[in-house]
Amino acid sequence: MAADSKVYDTVIIGAGIAGLTAAMYASRKKMKFEIISSDFGGQFMVSGEVLNYPGIIKTTGVELSMTMEEQMKFNNVNVKTETVQKVANEGENFKVVTDKGEYSTRTVIIATGARARKLGVPGEDRFAKKGVTYCSICDGPLFAGKEVTVIGGGSAALEAVDFLKDIVSKMYMLVRSDRFTGHEYLIDKVKSNPKVEVLLGAETTEILGDKFVTGLKYTQGGKENQLDVKGVIIEIGRVPNTEAFKDTIKLDDHNHIIIDCTTATTTPGIFAAGDCASGHEYQYVIAAGQGCMALIKAARYLANKK
Amino acid sequence: MAKIRVYSTPTCPWCMKLKAWLKSKGIEFENIDVSEDQEAAQAMIKKSGQMGVPQIEINGKMIVGFNPEAIEAELKKSR
Repeated sequence: MAADSKVYDTVIIGAGIAGLTAAMYASRKKMKFEIISSDFGGQFMVSGEVLNYPGIIKTTGVELSMTMEEQMKFNNVNVKTETVQKVANEGENFKVVTDKGEYSTRTVIIATGARARKLGVPGEDRFAKKGVTYCSICDGPLFAGKEVTVIGGGSAALEAVDFLKDIVSKMYMLVRSDRFTGHEYLIDKVKSNPKVEVLLGAETTEILGDKFVTGLKYTQGGKENQLDVKGVIIEIGRVPNTEAFKDTIKLDDHNHIIIDCTTATTTPGIFAAGDCASGHEYQYVIAAGQGCMALIKAARYLANKK
Repeated sequence: MAKIRVYSTPTCPWCMKLKAWLKSKGIEFENIDVSEDQEAAQAMIKKSGQMGVPQIEINGKMIVGFNPEAIEAELKKSR
C-alpha cells in the first residue's frame, strides 16, 4: 500500500460544474486532492443560452465554461486530463485507476455527468457528423436552407427546433410519445412555428444516406413512412457516465449513481454529484449545489474518521 | 509558418473554445464562418467528408473537432 503521504484526501472525477465546484471548495479548504477528467467543461460546452443560473441574468454555456476556467486558475485548481477506468477498494481507502496512472485516496467524489443518448438504429453511427448530429447549436448552421428532422419531444429537442427555425427551410419533429414533455413556453413556440411539422407517436427505425444523410424511415400507427431530409438532429435525453463505477457502488434502474440527500453513495467514502447521480433533474444549479455538498460531506467524513 | 484555417459557426461552443485556445498559444489563423459563407461550407464538407464544426485546416490537412493533441502534432510537422 502507498505511504500515507501519497494518499489523497479526495479525488474528484469529472470537470463539469459539479466536479469543478467540488474542486474549488477542496482547494479553498487546503485539502490534498486531484481533479481528473478526460476533458474540461462537461456538458455546458454544448448548451446554448443559460437563463436560469442564480446571480447571472443571461449567459451561454461556453461563456460560463470560460469563466469557470478562470475561476479554477484563481483557486489554484489544475484539472488532470486523464480518463478514469475504475474505482476499487484498497483497504480503508480507494484506488482510482486512470489510463495514465493510479491514485490512492481516502474519499472519492464522482461527478462524471451524462452524455447524449443514442437512438440505436441502423445508419446512426455511419452518418454521425455526416448529417446526424447531437449538437444543433454546433452543426445546425450547416443545414442552412435544407430540410431536417429533429428527433425527441423534451426541452432539448424543442430548443433545437427553436434554434434552427431561422436556418433551415423546413423541419419535421419526430416524437415517440403522444405528447411533448418539455417546458410549456418552448412547446408554445414550436406549435406556432409554420416551418415545423410535428409527428407524434412516431418511432425512427433507420437513417438513410449515401455519403451523407438523405432521409430516414419511421413507423407511425403501425405504418412505415419515409422522410427525405439532409439533417437528423437527435435530442432524446441523456445517459449517465457511470460504467466505470458499477462494480464499486450501486446504480439505479437508469444507471445513475444512487445517492442520499447528503450526496453519499452506497459505499461510505464515495460521494456523487450532478447528472451522474440519482436526482434525475439535469440543472446547472443542482450540479453546483451537489458538488459543494459532496466536498463538504467528504471533508466531514474524513474529520469523523480521525 | 503553417497556413491555418478554422471553419466555424458563431454559436458553436467548441469553435469558440478552439479559437480561444489558438489565440492563447499565439497561433495565427483565418476564421471562416460557414454559416455565412455557404461556398466555404460546401468546400469544407467536400475536403473532410464531415458535416460538423469546428474543423481546422493545417497545410491542407483537416482535423475535425477540438483536438489539441492532433493540432499540435500537425503543427510540429510543418515547423
